Amino acid sequence: MMHARRLIASIALLLAAGPATGMDTSELRDGEWVSYRDAYRAMVVFEKYGGPKNFLQSQLQVLPRERGAGTGGLQMTLAGKSTELHLALDPLGRTRLPLQKAAYDENAALVLNRKGVPFTVRPQVSIAPRPDGVYDSADLRAACAQALDFARHVDASMRGRRCVGARFVFLNKGEAGVRLRREGGGEQALPPQDEDAGLQAVVYRFGAQQGQVVTANAPLAILPVFE
Amino acid sequence: MNKLLSLALGAACSVGCGGAWAQTPAANPMPDGSRDMYVGLGVQSAPRYEGTGSRKVSALPVLQVQWSSGLFVSGMNAGWHLSDSPTFEFGPLLALLPGRDESGSGTGLDGIGPDSVFGLSSGPLEKSAMLMRGGQLTGIAEIGTRLQGGVFTNYYLTPQWRLTASALYGSGRERDGARLLLGVQRLAASLGERHHVALSAGLTLANRNDNQTYFGVTALEASRSRFAQYAAGGGLRDARVGLRWNWTWTPSWMLTTNVQAERLLGSARHSPLVERPTNVTVSTAIGYRF
Repeated sequence: MMHARRLIASIALLLAAGPATGMDTSELRDGEWVSYRDAYRAMVVFEKYGGPKNFLQSQLQVLPRERGAGTGGLQMTLAGKSTELHLALDPLGRTRLPLQKAAYDENAALVLNRKGVPFTVRPQVSIAPRPDGVYDSADLRAACAQALDFARHVDASMRGRRCVGARFVFLNKGEAGVRLRREGGGEQALPPQDEDAGLQAVVYRFGAQQGQVVTANAPLAILPVFE
Repeated sequence: MNKLLSLALGAACSVGCGGAWAQTPAANPMPDGSRDMYVGLGVQSAPRYEGTGSRKVSALPVLQVQWSSGLFVSGMNAGWHLSDSPTFEFGPLLALLPGRDESGSGTGLDGIGPDSVFGLSSGPLEKSAMLMRGGQLTGIAEIGTRLQGGVFTNYYLTPQWRLTASALYGSGRERDGARLLLGVQRLAASLGERHHVALSAGLTLANRNDNQTYFGVTALEASRSRFAQYAAGGGLRDARVGLRWNWTWTPSWMLTTNVQAERLLGSARHSPLVERPTNVTVSTAIGYRF
């Protein structure tokens, strides 16, 4: 009995210690925050990766847990005792996560600006878009190879995969204009495909022929395609 | 990436963990000079010693600390992540193995020599009294707490599945026991999920010196106890499965619950000290992340 009382007293003392952060954690509802430390841990792997990655970019992507829920109008905040940083999300819910020691040490949280939106996050490595919208097929192959090497670095089961193309994702249907400009002359329009959430994508599959992929509008994302 | 929340908080169990897995937390890259620490307190229901049907409920301190250098403390284990690879981890490992006294409880500190009780003689009446106490090890020499040293390695088949192995030396009465622990773990779910369940299964192999200490009965012990003399051999020691459920309430607070079933095998299973070869340990604790 004495033992049980001591145990209860110890747990009460532990609970009374309160949160280390200045953020009011009582306002954080289930599913509406993500630990910055865990996000940091996910994202820093790419930063520390020593392999070639000049064609790549890494972002943190917000994924609402409710099926079909979009990320339009959402903004993410990095909130800690002395940290408050607003992170804009692109239409795919992605943002560049700052890797801050202060926020890490404060055990900060990532929260959304809208209540009632349970979410998860994941790191997403994609091919960096070019301002001129012109992509050499050799560069796309190299970018895909870099992405696959990184995927193999973090996931041994990816060793059996190979690069087969690049997927250009666009926000609106009218924007998905992508043409393949062949090295020997001539152009070919690549057909768009409808994706979830009203997005459109154009898949450029690597072939024997060299050339350039030209986008009429800036893609939201360019994702490597592995098979 | 899903191994991020796979934290299997180490439990500093004092009893029922004689064969505790030397599980290592996944490598945790962080800013230079930072650390990630969990401290907690809970309760544990466990066998008084491996193989007994007698159980004990006790307070359970929880501690897991990882530093940017790769050093970590996880329950009764401490080690150092030396690899930068996300799929292959290895490094040196220290593990504290609780002792065992006549009640089956851990001694905590190795302050009494294992032979100290041999100086006492037990007459027929005293021995009858000992025989009445089931579930206890009256007459069996105490075993002090042991510090084991060795190495660990983990290989990630995928970010969710990893194979684990650790080799440790220094257990046993003469500190010459050795154990090889092999396992497979299904690590927990993705970022942002509040409930994470991790599964594990594994085998322990031990040398004769280790098994004889924890499952053998010497002639002197047999004459002083209700147990028959028994010479334990080396080999497969136990198989076990475990389930850990972590429920994160806030970025700082969480509840961690662990259920582990162990079945003694081989020479250990046939020991007269073993009343039931299968034992279950259950624990739950509130943890705070600093």
